[in-house]
Amino acid sequence: MKSLLISLAVIGLTATAAVAEKVTVVTPFLAQPGTQAYVQGFEAEASAKGWEVNVVDTAGDVAAVISRIEDAVNQQVDAIVINVDPAQVAAGLQVAADAGIPVIGMDAGADPLLVTNVTSNGYAMAAETSVYVANRIEGKGRIVMFVFDAFPPVQVRGVIADAVFGNHPDIEIIDRITPDVQDGGIADSRAKMEAVLAANPEPGSIAAVWAAWDQPALGALQAIEDAGRSDEGIVIVGIDANPQARDAIAAGGNFEASVAQDFQGIGKAAADAAARAMAGEEIRAKVMYVPTRLITAANAQQ
Amino acid sequence: MMIARFRQMGTLLGLLLIVLFFTIQLPDTFLTARNLINVSQQISMLAVVAFAMTVVMVMGDFDLSVGSMASLAGIVAAVLFALGYPLWIGVAAALAVGMLGGLLNGLLVAVVGILPFVATLGTLTIFSGLAFFVSGGRTIFGRDIPASFSGFARSGVPLDGIGLTGLKLPFLSISALVVLAITWVLLEQTTYGRRLYAIGGNREAARLAGVQVTRLRSSAFVLTGIGAAIAGLMYASRVASANPTQGAGLMLDAIAAVFLGMTMGKEGEPRVLATLVGVLILGILDNGLTQMNVDSYVREMLIGAIVLVAVATSSYRRSH
Repeated sequence: MKSLLISLAVIGLTATAAVAEKVTVVTPFLAQPGTQAYVQGFEAEASAKGWEVNVVDTAGDVAAVISRIEDAVNQQVDAIVINVDPAQVAAGLQVAADAGIPVIGMDAGADPLLVTNVTSNGYAMAAETSVYVANRIEGKGRIVMFVFDAFPPVQVRGVIADAVFGNHPDIEIIDRITPDVQDGGIADSRAKMEAVLAANPEPGSIAAVWAAWDQPALGALQAIEDAGRSDEGIVIVGIDANPQARDAIAAGGNFEASVAQDFQGIGKAAADAAARAMAGEEIRAKVMYVPTRLITAANAQQ
Repeated sequence: MMIARFRQMGTLLGLLLIVLFFTIQLPDTFLTARNLINVSQQISMLAVVAFAMTVVMVMGDFDLSVGSMASLAGIVAAVLFALGYPLWIGVAAALAVGMLGGLLNGLLVAVVGILPFVATLGTLTIFSGLAFFVSGGRTIFGRDIPASFSGFARSGVPLDGIGLTGLKLPFLSISALVVLAITWVLLEQTTYGRRLYAIGGNREAARLAGVQVTRLRSSAFVLTGIGAAIAGLMYASRVASANPTQGAGLMLDAIAAVFLGMTMGKEGEPRVLATLVGVLILGILDNGLTQMNVDSYVREMLIGAIVLVAVATSSYRRSH
């Protein structure tokens, strides 16, 4: 039995690579619309390049991402693309590095073990929406923030909003809420916003809601509309400009602005980076930014 | 007798068929020493939770809080690391939290008399909230996690001596084996274990026979809590970070593994070695189906269906 195992191991180690490039994409977040768009953009570009792509979703389990990276290395794929915080899957990245397989981050976070990370500039996006809010309320008023510091790409957005609002002496942050995202984030954000509205019954006591992504902004919008307080001029902003958010912004209500990431563009750029890495090129930029765009009622339907 | 034995072996046969299937489908990469070592490491955390879960399920009880206890234990250790405490204090505190949480479960179930399903659903929510509270909702990672802690999950015992050059048996796999050995001795070789099985067989009869049911049930939940905390530490070491939700997925898989194993019991009772077979089935399916590029969602449905088929076959046979 042992000699059989060893001979199979030897065969495994010496098997030659397939003709078409094999690329495995691993993410715990495929249920998120943004991740789906990256993956679509990636797959479109990959099929144009003639690659064989395997997309693996671990449904929120980060340790399973490491396991699936190990499986991909064992399969001797040509490149791996991840959409998860690389610091948490470093054990898997090390296995890939030892096997000489390049790993590209798709909105993952920078890490020495990644060839590069392709993403949107979270700092810049948060600056766009928080400055929009500060200007709209003329630098004064009480603001509710929805943040999610457990996920680094969203955490950086909160940092910038804190800085922008902190730079206005007449702006007061009355609550900095981390919603429960297990239900997708809208329902719990709505419940949290209902509580904030109940605690601040005076018209005008809330000037704006700044959300680090669209789902809490949509939840807050529902809460404000249902409480009959949509005519108080509460300004809501989100980030990501998902279809539901675009509809709300186009309707011209309280939800006024969001920032569109070019998710498909990130997927495509990740595929381009993977192609360069597989060709043996050394990529210097450890992070590549794909441009974003502020969405308001003027351009929400484009 | 032969037939009964064969029925009990059905699930084991299923595992062998799954291994055979992947060996044929993936001749180059599945049945290799490297991949089998990978699998042993991939399932180690689930295995520890499932072994711990077996201890309470022996008594016919349940612990839904193991996943959030695993998250909480990882968070407690990581927060202490971030505050500059040495490795052993973080680990000891996490295990103590596991013990206290298990004791709370035990008291609620055995002393207060709440149904385990309800009691541990309540503590699941408490532990999860506590993990968010202690960590402020953040993932603790990077410099806050000592290299000696995350290094544990990346190292192992070199296997060059037995001809597997360059490979090592990961410490995570060894940890799971140690927990397996302890659980096996405890459940199968001690009076304590036999009494737990007696409680599972007939609680009232066990009480009348002089078994201290309340104390034993409480202590079994303590063991499960400690096991969940160990798994949480292993998980945190593997991902070199702690997140307030990271253990959540372990609970359902652990219960599924125990149920798969129970199909091998003479009376459908859980046995820890049978739980290992259940864990292996789940882990090998995950590994093999990923290598075969099977869609993740199809994979999930397949795994659920296989658990149902195994349990249904065994209960149909038992009742006919």
